[in-house]
Amino acid sequence: MRGSPANQFICLILLLVLIPATVWGATVTRTLSTAEPGAGEVFEVSLSIEGITLGGVVETLPAGYSIVGTDHPDDRILVRDRQVAFALVNDTLITYQVMAPSSGSGDITGIWEDFLGESNGTIPASHLAVDGIETEVESTPQERPTQEAAPPFAVLAAVVALIIARWGGQR
Amino acid sequence: MKHRIILILFLPMLIAVPASAVDGIPGDANGDDVLTFSEYNAAVLSYLDAVYMGGAGNLDRNDIQDAAWVYIHRDGKPLVVTDSSGRTLTLYRPLRRVVTFSGEALETLRSVGFDMEKVVAVDKFSHEKTTFFPECLDKSDIGSIWSPDMERVVSLKPDAVFLYASISTSACDDIQRRLEASSPGIRVFRFDCFKPATYPEEIRKIAMIIDEPRQGEEFASFYESTMNWIRNGTAEIPTDERVRVYFEYWTAYKTVAAGSGYNEKIEIAGGLNPFAGESGEYPLIDPEAVIVADPQVIVKLAGQGLTVGGYARHDPEALAEIRSALLERPGWSRISAVKDGRVYVIHSDILGGAQHFIGTAYLAKWFYPDRFTDLDPRAIHQRYLSEFQGIDFDLASEGSFVYPG
Repeated sequence: MRGSPANQFICLILLLVLIPATVWGATVTRTLSTAEPGAGEVFEVSLSIEGITLGGVVETLPAGYSIVGTDHPDDRILVRDRQVAFALVNDTLITYQVMAPSSGSGDITGIWEDFLGESNGTIPASHLAVDGIETEVESTPQERPTQEAAPPFAVLAAVVALIIARWGGQR
Repeated sequence: MKHRIILILFLPMLIAVPASAVDGIPGDANGDDVLTFSEYNAAVLSYLDAVYMGGAGNLDRNDIQDAAWVYIHRDGKPLVVTDSSGRTLTLYRPLRRVVTFSGEALETLRSVGFDMEKVVAVDKFSHEKTTFFPECLDKSDIGSIWSPDMERVVSLKPDAVFLYASISTSACDDIQRRLEASSPGIRVFRFDCFKPATYPEEIRKIAMIIDEPRQGEEFASFYESTMNWIRNGTAEIPTDERVRVYFEYWTAYKTVAAGSGYNEKIEIAGGLNPFAGESGEYPLIDPEAVIVADPQVIVKLAGQGLTVGGYARHDPEALAEIRSALLERPGWSRISAVKDGRVYVIHSDILGGAQHFIGTAYLAKWFYPDRFTDLDPRAIHQRYLSEFQGIDFDLASEGSFVYPG
């Protein structure tokens, strides 16, 4: 069956193996110290950056969440409301601290640009929910990059994974 | 809060970042022609703010990418280059849209690693050379220096145009004048790229223009190693011991004299041209004069148009026919070169333009086989194509450049 755990596992493995290998140059990934902070808790967001010598990242937090600090140099950040921009200069890791509201859930979304590689993409969204409780949140519009992070090979990998999953399901 | 304070302190700096100008490095807020680290970072934040955060910066994506390029490749400073016409030009940004009226400059750009996607238009002769310049098939054809399609050139909005420096100067000057009048900020570079005396310097300058100094040095060294091998191998040959060479242009009995590029290559290869003193660069001579001069080596140039050999065709028999016709000319059986079997045909593709070092290597080998036993012009040619031109072309089965090979 298409949605069986075995097929999902195959898809996941294929995507994990193929996509990173086929994304040339730059990648930015985000990890959270917690996805379910307590009310008013300060938690850490880490951005792992690969393949960008000179570039930029913009992160957008869910409504109610606020940026309270970062290890990035002061003259290379800009904070505006729930958004923070980082100028990248050979950086491989950026951490910033976020304060959770009393309640609320939503996604941290982000974009990156590699100015020398002349490419850009999105950072996969990270979901947050205070105390794990889901609430309705408004989303902040963000310019969509003209070029997505995943090149055609990544799409191909996904298609192959789906075909295999379907094939597996039919068996 | 800390970041609000940063934002307040920072905003005036963001606003101070100027718009992209024709001249000036994008992001150089104080206009002193140096993009400092703090100016660069301010420019980046201004750009991100404008594009993603609802701010009011005025740098677009090209601006910020150019700023990053200048910051990393040029230490944040403009690049100042003096071309072969002696004019000094200042580049505030990397080249993004290039037009070449010179096939030699186009070839040299490729030799030093230019991203050929950034060449938006080429001269009609390069456009026709689909085997050698396959990537130019889908580029605009802007005619020749004698009949340029100026409207098309201007419409393509190039940031740089390459023209010859010392040949067809009035035609090139006219194109340059018209471009600079219609497109303020355009950079017109004048390089020859076919003269042994200036080519190494031109290679390095073109590489500098495109921020590929390492690739430029590599190619210039490769070029110089071949030319120096030839020069060193012939330098000590006394004039009276030099091989007498009759070099014939495409047209029968049209030879070359002092001042012509071909004569220079004959001399570098150690040849003595009995007609060097004739008036004009390409004098037409009396057929009897060739017999009287009794050359020890005869070299015939082939390749007018794209009808015979070169990169366009693999037809050694066509070059052989040209040679046979020479041997049958009246009275030529008395010439030493004919008697000794030292009559050669060479295609202009490897002697007249940027590849002259390959043709000159063949000349040296033909003139002094004992001095150049280890010189392998074909291996040099193949390395040039594979390593520096990056084209898939096997000399063993493609093209025809010399006969006998």
